[in-house]
Amino acid sequence: MTSLTHLQKLEAESIQIMREVVTETENPVMLYSVGKDSAVMLHLARKAFAPAPPPFPLLHVDTRWKFRAMYEFRDKMAKEMGMDLLVHINPEGIEKDINPFTHGSAIHTDVMKTEGLKQALDKHGFDAAFGGARRDEEKSRAKERVFSFRTAQHRWDPKNQRPELWRLYNTRKHKRESIRVFPLSNWTELDIWQYIYLQDIPIVPLYYAAERPVVERDGALIMVDDERMPLEPGEVPMMRKVRFRTLGCYPLTGAIESEADTLPAIIQEMLLTKTSERQGRVIDHDSAASMEKKKQEGYF
Amino acid sequence: MHYQHYRTRLIPLNNHHVTATMPTKHLSPEMLNERRRQAVRLRLDGYTVAETARHAELSAPTVSAAWKAFREGGWGAIDVKPRGRRSGQGDVLGDVERRTLCRFLADWPDDGAPGWTSRALANAIQGCSRDLASPSPRTIEHWLKAQDLKPEPLALEALAHQRSHIGRWYRQQVQPVLRQMQRTGGSAWQGGVRVAKPGAVPTASRLRYQFYLHGKRGALLTRCLPASPRADDYLMLFQRMLSQKHGAPIALVFHGAFFEASPEIRQWLVEHPAFHLINVPSH
Repeated sequence: MTSLTHLQKLEAESIQIMREVVTETENPVMLYSVGKDSAVMLHLARKAFAPAPPPFPLLHVDTRWKFRAMYEFRDKMAKEMGMDLLVHINPEGIEKDINPFTHGSAIHTDVMKTEGLKQALDKHGFDAAFGGARRDEEKSRAKERVFSFRTAQHRWDPKNQRPELWRLYNTRKHKRESIRVFPLSNWTELDIWQYIYLQDIPIVPLYYAAERPVVERDGALIMVDDERMPLEPGEVPMMRKVRFRTLGCYPLTGAIESEADTLPAIIQEMLLTKTSERQGRVIDHDSAASMEKKKQEGYF
Repeated sequence: MHYQHYRTRLIPLNNHHVTATMPTKHLSPEMLNERRRQAVRLRLDGYTVAETARHAELSAPTVSAAWKAFREGGWGAIDVKPRGRRSGQGDVLGDVERRTLCRFLADWPDDGAPGWTSRALANAIQGCSRDLASPSPRTIEHWLKAQDLKPEPLALEALAHQRSHIGRWYRQQVQPVLRQMQRTGGSAWQGGVRVAKPGAVPTASRLRYQFYLHGKRGALLTRCLPASPRADDYLMLFQRMLSQKHGAPIALVFHGAFFEASPEIRQWLVEHPAFHLINVPSH
């Protein structure tokens, strides 16, 4: 009997979780943030239900501030996959023109991401939402269960989580409660890259190192992705060879200087790194334990 | 004294015992070179390697090496290479000199040049104080290299036949301008802005951001900054280049800045049609 590799074990576990959710819930949805984890999750979903397409739609909670390359990639993938793609933008955010520059990262994230997500889940009545969060990203994500239960108000109570012994998942929930499901919980960033490499999964080109126009903001390299990025008087962006370990709203996502322009080079870089990919996210530094607070309020 | 007859000449041989290794470290390079020349003369006279080694008090491999060098390069090739570092190669910059150098690098040269050459830096340090040791331009170049402040020019002409997007860029945007410069007597420069990444060598200052220009024959002109350059810095660079050439046309192939986002620089370029700025595309 041949034993499975660690990636095959992780893949099998993720597929089991996805099938469990489809069996046990009425109206699941897969949150699609266009990043590498979403790409892997989508690939796993297609494997889990092949040859049929996955029996749930994709939901992108848009903030209007993602990288242009992400929007291009999202539309291309939706067309190729033949899956329903729901895009939700918080209408209140549009009306008030909420943006990371004038309102700050905390308000922008709260209105456009947290509230936007809650609105979209309520609007379509989804009772389970797949997400691509991993335990190695951030400490509050590390303690969250694979099946993370949310109240009718989408709140998370980290002190009231269900045990998940021997990969047995208790999926019972009260009416109007919902579940956030994390099939990639036990994957690491390196696992994700190795899997992308082995399975030849398409990803947004921003993950590969290339010369891009960047400015420095509080030690972070912020890419000037469009003309909405306000520059200081006399500021001239520099072209630097950078790549992104994580993708979000472009004014809130820091790039890293890198020469890794191929998947093997990225994997090599991952082997040597000692920091989490979330280090590049400005929103994670808003305050102490800011991720846990945001999650309690309904953030992904 | 024992004599050995060989061909036409009698050569006195001493009774030194020849070993495979004959210590020559104690000899000055001049003395060693004299013995090597003597060994070659003996070999030309027909003596064997062993006989020559015995007579010249050298080891057999040294005799063979000198003989081989002579056969390949003549009498001039026999001498050993000078020992130790070449003059100016050592990091002889003291703390004070290094600080002075950084201070100069952080500012524009007084003579209106668009950047510092290693010679100009050496002269500036020398003129600064008599108490300071005056480093050679070569020493400064080695220091710049150690600080990752000595970028190589882009091999532009090699792009002429490349079929990639950068080859097309060269043929369509750079070549016509360079030809125009040749016709009108203008000058062509390469340059850019970059962030230095000194590796194992500890950086001597906070000057990580570097302007660099390569003029004729690849001579490097540079200036360093502690922070990302502002529009004023770029404009001062361009203005100094124009002033040096008294308004004659200039083509600058520039890498590392995103000028499209700077209205000040776009406006300046409109006002100075003699200055042709060509941005290197991202690659």
